[in-house]
Order: sequence, then C-alpha cells, then structure tokens
Amino acid sequence: MDSDTLTEPMELKVLELIKEVQIDHSPSFTKLVNDSVSSIQNSINKIPNNLTVTGEEVAGFVRDVGADKVDFKFKKPKSIEIGGSYSLKCVVKPDINVDLFIQLPKECFHEKDYLNHRYHAKRFIYLSIIKKFLNLDSSFEKVEWSTLQNEARKPVLLVCPADKLAEVPGFVVRIIPTAKSLFNVAKLDLKRNNVRALNQDGTPLPTPRYNSSILEDMCSEYNTEFLKKTFLGWKALGEALVLLKVWARQRNSVHSHDCLNGYLIAIILSYLVAHEKVNNSMRPLQIFRVTLDFIANSKLWSRGLFLQKQGEDRMLYKESFPVVICDSTTHINLTFRIKGSGFSELQDEAALTLKCLEKSGDGAFEDIFMTKIDFPAKYDYCVRLNLKGNSEFYSSGYCLDEECWRSHEQKVQSLLSQGLSDRARSVRVIWRNIPSGCSFENGLSTLDVEPLLVGISLSSLDKAFRVVDIGADAENKEEAAKFRKFWGKRQSFGDLRMVKLLKAQVRLYVLWESEQWRKHLILKRIVEYILLRHLAISKTSIEQTVDQLDFSLVHGVEDPMSFSASLLGAFDVLSKRLRLIEDIPLKVSSVQPLDPAFRCTSVFPPEPHPLASEKGNVPRLHKLPSSCIQPLEVMIQLEGSGNWPMDDVAIEKTKSAFLLKIGESLENSWGMTCTATEDDVDVFLSGYAFRLKILHERGLSLVKREIGSDQGKRVSSVDQKLFVCSQHSSMINGLQGIFPIYGPVVRLAKRWVASHMFSACLSEEAIELLVAHLFVKPLPFTAPCSRITGFLRFLRLLAEYDWIFSPLIVDLNSDFNPSDKKEIHDKFMLTRKGYEENSQNISSAMFLATSYDKASEAWTRLSPNLLELKRLVAYACSSANLLTRLVLRDQTDSYRWECLFRTPLNNYNAVILLHGDRLPYPQRLLFPSKLNHGRLVAHGNASKAFQPFMLPRDLRGSLDELKNKLLVDFDPLRCYIADLEKECNILKSWYDSLGGDAIGLTWERSCSKKRDRDEAGEEEDPIDVLKAVGEAGKGFVKSVHFLKAPRLMN
Amino acid sequence: MGNLKEKVDKKQKKKSKKPNNSDFSEKDVMIKKEDERNKATRPAEKKKRKREKGSSIDGGDAIQIIREDDVTKAEGEKKRNKLRKKKKEGRSKIMFCAYIGKSKKSKKKKKEHETSKEDEIILEKRGETNQDEAYCISSGDEDCSKGMKKWLTDYHQSRPGLKVLQQRLDEFIVSHEEKLEQERKEREAQAAEGGWTVVKHHKGRKKTTDSESGITVGSVAPAAVENQMTKKKPKEVGLEFYRFQKREAQRSEIMALRSKFEEDRKRIQQLRAARKFRPY
Repeated sequence: MDSDTLTEPMELKVLELIKEVQIDHSPSFTKLVNDSVSSIQNSINKIPNNLTVTGEEVAGFVRDVGADKVDFKFKKPKSIEIGGSYSLKCVVKPDINVDLFIQLPKECFHEKDYLNHRYHAKRFIYLSIIKKFLNLDSSFEKVEWSTLQNEARKPVLLVCPADKLAEVPGFVVRIIPTAKSLFNVAKLDLKRNNVRALNQDGTPLPTPRYNSSILEDMCSEYNTEFLKKTFLGWKALGEALVLLKVWARQRNSVHSHDCLNGYLIAIILSYLVAHEKVNNSMRPLQIFRVTLDFIANSKLWSRGLFLQKQGEDRMLYKESFPVVICDSTTHINLTFRIKGSGFSELQDEAALTLKCLEKSGDGAFEDIFMTKIDFPAKYDYCVRLNLKGNSEFYSSGYCLDEECWRSHEQKVQSLLSQGLSDRARSVRVIWRNIPSGCSFENGLSTLDVEPLLVGISLSSLDKAFRVVDIGADAENKEEAAKFRKFWGKRQSFGDLRMVKLLKAQVRLYVLWESEQWRKHLILKRIVEYILLRHLAISKTSIEQTVDQLDFSLVHGVEDPMSFSASLLGAFDVLSKRLRLIEDIPLKVSSVQPLDPAFRCTSVFPPEPHPLASEKGNVPRLHKLPSSCIQPLEVMIQLEGSGNWPMDDVAIEKTKSAFLLKIGESLENSWGMTCTATEDDVDVFLSGYAFRLKILHERGLSLVKREIGSDQGKRVSSVDQKLFVCSQHSSMINGLQGIFPIYGPVVRLAKRWVASHMFSACLSEEAIELLVAHLFVKPLPFTAPCSRITGFLRFLRLLAEYDWIFSPLIVDLNSDFNPSDKKEIHDKFMLTRKGYEENSQNISSAMFLATSYDKASEAWTRLSPNLLELKRLVAYACSSANLLTRLVLRDQTDSYRWECLFRTPLNNYNAVILLHGDRLPYPQRLLFPSKLNHGRLVAHGNASKAFQPFMLPRDLRGSLDELKNKLLVDFDPLRCYIADLEKECNILKSWYDSLGGDAIGLTWERSCSKKRDRDEAGEEEDPIDVLKAVGEAGKGFVKSVHFLKAPRLMN
Repeated sequence: MGNLKEKVDKKQKKKSKKPNNSDFSEKDVMIKKEDERNKATRPAEKKKRKREKGSSIDGGDAIQIIREDDVTKAEGEKKRNKLRKKKKEGRSKIMFCAYIGKSKKSKKKKKEHETSKEDEIILEKRGETNQDEAYCISSGDEDCSKGMKKWLTDYHQSRPGLKVLQQRLDEFIVSHEEKLEQERKEREAQAAEGGWTVVKHHKGRKKTTDSESGITVGSVAPAAVENQMTKKKPKEVGLEFYRFQKREAQRSEIMALRSKFEEDRKRIQQLRAARKFRPY
C-alpha cells in the first residue's frame, strides 16, 4: 500500500520532516518528564500551608499592574497536571516544553478579585512563592520567569531540570497557573468594566481584553481536555498539527503574540474536525492544505467561529474583536489577542503557501517548511524603534484593558498605515518586549529594552516612489483640518488641480522632492517624519534599513546610475547612424545593446567622458578626467549574403573588415572617432565608447549542426557566444522593465561577489540570472521591492540552495512547459552522472538553466567549480547571517555594514597587494587593503608610466591627440591576471575585477600533486614562485605576502 | 605525531594567556577580518570560542572554512607558532634561523613522510632569504618585458590605426585565398593525376554553396527552415492508433514513474544524510 500512496516526493519529504521534529515519547523521556513533575510537586508540598503573603517582595509588580488588596494565605494548589502540546503528543522540536497546569486554590481569592488586576497580582505572588521554593531544590538547574503569549501581567515559570537527556536538548517545564471556577463568569462579560481606572469622564469603558485574560486562565483546563479528546488516537491529525506548527514557526510575522501560536492552531484544527471539514481518511498533508485553505479563504472568519453549533451573542464578540473563535460554554474568545493586521498577515501567508503547493513543484516542500521567512527577508523595509527609557507610551499606566506595549504597537501601526497610505501593501508592527530571563519582581518598567520592529511591504514601486501625497479637498473643512493635523507643517496648500477629476479642485498635498536615484529614500523620510511628529521619540532611536549599502554603489556622492538616460540617448543616436551607413556592401539591419550598463545592471555604468565626444575643441574640465574609458558592447547584424567565407577564421576576419569600414564611415560622415585593434572596433559618441560586434547567423547554424552530431565535443564559436549574450541581454532588459528594483539588487549582488574576490568564479550574467530567479519565482515570498531585501534573498539563495542535487531553473518569460523541464532535468542528470563515484567530478556545479540555455553551458559550465562554489556558499552564508543581524538587532554604525563588503585576506596561501593609485578607476576601491600578518616576500614601487587620471600637463594639445591618449578598455588588473595564468599555472588567483587592490593566491592542489610526482627533484620553492609573480606585475604590485604553506602533500 | 600536536597545543595555551593580537590558533581556522577593533583580544577570543560551539551563529565577519588535511594543519600551526614568536621578539633573522634549527629537530620525531618538503626548501634557501627577506621589485619603468610598462606597450601596439589594420586584414585575406586556391589546385592535380575523378558518397545535406566558386546554389536561410519545421504538423495518426502502441506508451509511462520514484527515494536518503529536513 505504501508504495502506492507515497509516490509523491513531497509526501516522502513531509514524513522525514515529521520524523525529524517530533519527539519520541520514549520511556526515558517520559521518565524525565514524570520525575521533573514529581519533584516540582515535592517542592510545592514543602511550602507551609497558611503562609501569609503580603506581596511586599514583589511590590513593583503589584504597583505596576495597579492592584490593591493582595494579601492572602497560601494554600496548596488544588491540582497539578500536565497539559499543552505534550499531552497531545505534538511537541515540536526545538522548543521542547511541557506545560504544567497548577490550579490556584479558591481559598486564596476573594469573590471580587477579578477587579483591578487583583487576580493578576495574586497569581504572580503565588508563582513567586513557588519560585522561591523551587530555587531551594537542587534538582532544578534554574527557574526563570517567562510570560504567556508575551502578556506581561501573566507571567509563567520556566523550570529547567538538572537532569539532562541528550535526545531532548533544552527541555523545560512551564508552570502555568489556572483559575478554574474562581470567579463568576457573568462578571467577566465583554461589556463589563473591571478596571476602574479605565473610564472616560467618569463613565467606565468595557474591558473585553482584560476580562478575556482572566477567562483564559479559567478555561484552560477545559480546553485542554477538549483538545485531547480530538487529538489523541488520531495520528494524522497530530501530524498535521506538527506540520502547521513548523510552518508557522518559519514565519516570524505570523508566529507571534498577536497572531498565531501552537495552541490556536490546535483549536482551529479541532474546529475543522467538529465541523467535518477534516475527516479520518485524510493524510497529514491534506489536512494541512485544507486548514490553510480555510484560514486563507473561508468566509466564516467575518462572522466568527463557534466551536459549538450555537451562539446567540455572535455580533457582540465581533464588535470587540477582529477575529473570533468562541467557545460558548466558557464565553471566551480564544483569539482575543489577535489583531486585525496580524490576521490579514496570516491570511496572506496562508494564501502564499497554497500558491507554493500549487506552483513550486518539487521545491514546494523547501519553500513551505524549510525556508525561514523572517522580517528582513519578508519585508521590503524594516524599521526599529528603540523605546528604551521612553516614558511617553506608558504615561497612563502599564496595564489597563490592554497593556501599554500592545496599545503602542497599535498606535505605531495605525500612524504608519495612514502616513504611507497606498504606498504600503501591509505594515506589520511587533514588539516582542519581554526579554528572556527578565525579572518581574521590580515592576514592568524594564520591559522596554527590546526594540519595536516594523516591517513594511510595498505595494508597487510606482506608488512607493511617488513624490506627491495628495490629500483632502481644501474646501472640505473637516477633512482638510484632519489632513493638516496629521501632516503638520509638511503639507502645502497648493493649487494642485486634479485633471483626472475633470473639475478643478484645490487639493492639499505633501511633496517629497527627490532625485531619481534617491527615490528609494522617500519612504524613509516619510516614516521618519510621521514618527517624529506624532511620537515623542528622538531621531536616533529610529533605525531604518534603507540606504546602508548605497555606499558601495556610488562614486563620491552620486550614483553613476544617474547617467543612464544620457547613455541610452547616445545609444539611440549610434544605432540610427549605423543604420544610415550606405558605403558598405551590406547594410546594417539591426543594432542591439549587450553591455549590462544598458539594462541598468552594471555596478558602475560609465560616466560620459569629456574627451570622448565629437566636438572639435578641448572642453574645459572641472575635475581631472580619467585616462581610461570602458567600452560598451553593441551587437550589429548585417543583411544576409551568400558571399561569406566558410571557415571560422575567415569569417572573423571578414567581420573585422566590415567593422573597420563602418568605423571609417562613421568617422567620415559624423566626425566620430574610431579606434581599433585586430579584434575590437570602438567608436566614441557623446562621451561613451561603444564596442561594435557583428553577429553572423551562419556561424550559428554551423555550431548548431555540430551539437547535433557530437554532444561531447562542443565548439563554442564567437557567434554562439554573441547570440547567447544577445538573448540574455534582451530577456534581462525585459525583466528590468517589469521590476525596476531588479537593477539595484543586481548591482549590490555583483559588488558583493566581486568584493569577496569571486570575480573569476561567477560571471556577471550568472549573477543576473540568480537575481532574476528571485523575481520570477519569488515564492514563498512576493517579489522584493527594496534593494536590501533583494540582496539578502540573493545571499540566502546562494547559501541555501541545494546546488549539487538540483538545477536552478530560471524561467525568465515563464514559458517552460513540462517537457522543457524534463529536458532540463535530463541534462542536469548528465552533469551529475559522475558524482556518485567521485564527488569532485562535476561540471556545472551551479546548474543554471534558462530558455536560451537549457544545459547550463553559457555561464557556469566551468566556473564556479565545486571548491569555488563551496567557498562562495560559505561566504554567502556568513554575509546573510550578518545582514540579518544588522537588520534585526545590532547597533547600526556604518562600520558593521561595511563588513558585508570587507573580505578577509587570510583565506589564501598568498596575497598580492596592488598600488591603489594605479588601478584604472581608483574611486571604485571600497577599502584599501592592509595586511599585518604573513611574511612579506617582495615589495615594489609604482610605475610612472600609467596614471589613472590625466594630469593638467597631459591635457595640452589638440583633441585628437588627447583622444589617442585615452585608453580604451585598458585594465592593468586584467592584464596582470592574464600574465599570471600564462606564467604559473599552479596558482589560482582570486580577485575583484570591479576595483579591488588585492589578489588572493591559492596553490592548485591537483597541479602541485602532479608536479610532485613528475619532477620531484625540481620542486619549486613557493617563495621563488611568489617572487616571479611579483616580478610579472612590475610597477603595479605593491607587495607580495606569503601567508601559509600550500598543501604539497597528498 | 600526537605527541607533537599536544606539545603545540600546550604552547598555544601558554600563549593565549598573553594578550597578543596575532595570537589565534589556526586550528580553529576561524578567520577574523583584519580589524582594528579586535584589539582587545580577550573578549574577541571568547566570542570566537562561542562561535565555534554553535556554528550556526557564526560571526558575519568571520568565515569558517573546514580543512580536511590534518597533517598540514598541524604544520601550519607549528609554523605560525614560530612565526609569531619571531615577530614578537623582534629579532626576526636570528629567530628565523633558530626556528629552522628547531624545526629540524622536532621533525626527526615525525615519521619520514611527514618531513615537509617545504621546510626543507626553506632550509635550502635559508641563506638567501635571510639576506633580503623582502625582495624588492623595481618599478619597471625602464623595462618593457614585464609589468605595467609591458601592458601599456602592448596596448599601444595593438592599436596601430585603422589604415594599418585594414592593410593587415587585406593581406590576410589575400594569403588566405591563395592558400585555399592552392589547396584546390592540389586536389585537382591529385585527381587529374590518374585521369580519374574520385566519386565519394556524400553524407548529409547538400552543401548550399559551391565549394569552388562560393556561389550559393540552393541556399536556405536558417530562419526559413525553422519556420518550416514549426509549421510541419506532428504526425497525428500513428501515436495512439494501434492498441499495442497505447499499451506500450502506458507501460513506458509507468516505468518512467517508477524510476522517478526510485530516484526520489534515493535523493531523500541523501538529503536525510545531509540533515536537510531539520527546519531549525
């Protein structure tokens, strides 16, 4: 039967997952639990009966909850029993705790103790006595305070037994007091006021949340019984609960005090059982799906859920709470903590997960259960508010109907929602304000040390980057006053006429002027402005993650991206001129841009160079012009002709001849400058250098035929490469059009890859595809809308993807059908054939399949190899962790952010430092490298022959002479690397092609091994090798350092 | 070997008591970024140990690379130890000699194959390395054979101007054509030698150009071919026409499913081994 039902790999994986997270109720574990419980019982039994307690020792707590009359005589608890997930056998690792309900004795309470937090105060005092006695017992390692669902007025005790069991690390017992039938339920009705301090001009207001907080304790045993009845003996349901718990825990924004927890999941499941939406024949995964579907789509939520099929006062609950799951026998809304925003977040997540199940295919399991969906990765903007020491938010008391932290959450939430209006799709505010191991005895004032966290998802970039917020109609007095009150001075009263509305209306508006490349900062300004205006906090306590990484992309103060409009303009002119050329045998039929700068994915798109324009005279210069210029590749196609030669070499030569002719023609008719080598032809136009390439289709078909005949021997001709480039370029260009934030994310990703010296391992196009994957297949997220979030997801993709066993399919136009996927899979399996025998024997270690390259041959066939990939993954992993920490916790000084791009220099056998001022673009160097360990092998002086900037004395002479001095595509680093590879093939170099001043060297293991055998006598000294290396880079190399001996032995 | 390792460890323990920045063992290959802020070593070291324990929370600025090669590790360690000493005491050259002497001694305890070649080499080169430990590279402005000057020269040489390039291209094409011509003549001569023309079986598609004159004979543009190919209807009759075909198709589908299932199972075992099912 098994083989029949388990054909789905998803089911198999789910089974494995359940095995992994569920706890085996083995005899040893049961014994540990029972022993712990009985020793807790013993300790409690040692407490003398009728001990008079006054609450003096915990006066701080009593004062802060606002209780009076808290004296009572201690009695033993009425009962002690195990409840919670342990009793359902659904404990999920890694949080292994056993809930222990101790029933508070009626004798300790008065009839009216439900008033004014007296119950809460007494409950706490009772627990603190127990804590005192538990502390005396040596069978407990430690006893700590914690809280029930982050509610500070309802602390619970965490008891760590001294006995440990290896299979259950971190096992704790939670002591939770219950209040079965302590009070009259009718007195705790939703409409009643039980906190006298809460009133409006003398009229008491209802306190539904306060009442629910007491009711919750009164019915917890009852509900546990109810759950036990449902769950025990139904394995599949229990497993579904486990799955749902894992699912929720991976989603930080959902698994929180104002949204979902394990208990509520169990309640929802039992609701579904009670209403026959889940039945005995279903498998865990099916129950999981049904539950999510219910959460996401059911209309019942709007009316409230009732566990028993009745409910006379439905609307009453719905008025007080956004979400209702009600138990009519106990009159409590079990979801009284859930807020509207939390619930809509939950519905969104559930809907997304359903989409994953439908669309992700083989990756669904990983998306749903294994991917961590935390604030930094999920939300586009994260804001932290440090409210430590801020007395404003609890000015009217810590606990009224709600606790002050919760109402402050609400306040921030509504302020931001109003201020951001339709810019934000959702705003989520969570304040997990209770740090672990805090003490409540001295009051609640210390519960503000943790920062309040805000996550903002943007709706669309157009809306989010809008510069004007149009407000109320100025003639509508009431609305206008409201608008003015909200925006204060910022609002302008203008004659912004609404053309759309067809009548000239005078509207109020708020204007946020911004340069194009700084538009992502508008949101930051709005958030800051609103919070500062409406909350009494200082600017320094608002920490937003928006622009912290921009330093890596700017030149000086400006982002070179701002030139991209002029670049596209220049390209248009060029393409027109090319098409107009008449004096060559074949006309130009199409012109296509290839360089990443045209699709906004170049880290440093070129700035217009003052000398590379056509104007006749030398322009006046404000700053020294660079002496190098980056050419941008442009692909040309010519009219078809039968006269092309047949062999490769001749074709290439003919192309060159054509290009030279074209260059000459441009020179003659437009006065453009053309410079050429045997392989490349560059023309200057309005400050840019364009490198022209010709694609000859015939070359393409030749290659195709070859593939058909012989798969293994693959000749990749120039035309083939050009063709792939052009396909890639146009697809990425389309993507960039749909997702404007794609460009900045790619630029950050490229900068990161380069700054960790992986330039040789991962090609730019491969990075573009990896980032594209985040956008075309964003599940389980939605497509990122900010550069930092996108960058973080890129790092996590690199770090977490299962590169060895799965191909990454980047479906740029979402047009793959099953047979395409099968083809890709087959090709992938071909590359992994040798893996089982020899794990090093793998081509395309990173398998990237796209519609133009299904066999991953274009970008990642040779590099990264397995070792490089491992290194890359390790770096990505640690950078991702650092970035997550920076967003969530760490102090945000710029240094820590810079660490994301600072690379450690000690992971190499040797390091070469270069003269930073001999790099072609010294302004791109992020951090000058220093090295204070290792052994200095050689040092050298800088050459005088090359300067990255043209000095004033070079600038004399006519423009033509100057143009000749302009170095097109001259890059000493590239020349050096090429020389190194030529000269000593035992070294592998790691470098930063974007402008790093260090090169890491590692000895290639296989080569050195061979060398050992072949010429054992003539072993090369690493020091000598390094000297030769230094010698090869004369005038460029500053120093060569030897760090650690290469592994020469087998 | 173990003995030696112990010794090294001991030495390191001793060292770690002293606050010294460069003092971190290579064994735990936790690599710190060169970071001036880490001057206070003690807390940093503590942190490091912590990180070591829970590798999942390892520091962002530290990257852990696992090395498989124990032998070299011990050696690297040793070397580092010595180097450190050398640096600290500031008498580099003397200490360097001492180091070599010492290492020679300690090496004797090791098994033969572990006598590191590298150390021997350093021994050989000792004289030289001591004399000029840091070799000085000239700026190379006089010398065009290497380095910056060479690259610049290469650059300028590669751009002789459009005219020259044009000429070179013309020359190439002329010579290339001559070569082709000659080849053709040779072939003809060979064929004509016996008065015979060799007739070969011509494999594959017809050539679109006449090999001799370069004239297009029956050229078809690739775009057109592709177009034709897509227009061609797939054979509708045939696939599911006969019953046995259906049966075979079903069978092969089942076989494919079964093999996929097996594959998945295998894959899941691999994943399990790699602990890929732990969501935390």
